Amino acid sequence: MSRAPAGWDVDSPVQAEVFVVWLDGDRLALTGPDGPQPWILQLGPTEHPVEVVDRIVRDVVGPPILVHSTSWRRDRDAVILSFVVVIDQALVGDMASVPIDRAELARSTATAAPRDIAVSAVVEHGLRHLAWLVQDDPVVAAELPTSWRPLLAAYVPEPFRSLG
Amino acid sequence: MDVVRQFTNRCACGWEFRGSADEVVDATIDHGKRIHNMEATREQVLEAIGAEPGDATGAREAAGEAEAAAG
Repeated sequence: MSRAPAGWDVDSPVQAEVFVVWLDGDRLALTGPDGPQPWILQLGPTEHPVEVVDRIVRDVVGPPILVHSTSWRRDRDAVILSFVVVIDQALVGDMASVPIDRAELARSTATAAPRDIAVSAVVEHGLRHLAWLVQDDPVVAAELPTSWRPLLAAYVPEPFRSLG
Repeated sequence: MDVVRQFTNRCACGWEFRGSADEVVDATIDHGKRIHNMEATREQVLEAIGAEPGDATGAREAAGEAEAAAG
């Protein structure tokens, strides 16, 4: 799921990295116009990141169910804002897709960011974030189809799960 | 018969386009704007694909307009 070096690429100082997630039967899966690899968007100095992600996803894929920023990091000589975008199965069409496997998180030290952060760790973090939101945020709880809940429950740390 | 030089541009996302300089410029600008929210100029694309002055109609027209404006 990495981007191949090429002559043309987003190079703005702030970029959005979009993970388009959908429910494929009983598994969560990654897709997007570039397939399952991170979908990189340029963010201009006066643009609101959420608005850009929402607009581009609507134009290219279709109306998303949820657009949520879940983490940030430094990479690609830029600040990367990661987004989980939930879409309905009907929008996947012929876009390439892969099931999402569980992954280890990239852990920070007490005062410093992790040295290396794999894409799989960013996705894992994003889904853990979504799992927390579906319990804590009434908007997310209302918008996310109920069929997602049992799958996201597996991403909730045990002590939090008992509060649900 | 003029032979039109062919160029290829490849985006890091995997998108690739081959054609004349003008075609590659137009396709790249469209791809960048639609898929990556990028605002690219013709000159940036021409430089990226290694086109020389005269390869692109747009570049020749722009140069002509500049000369006309200066003259």
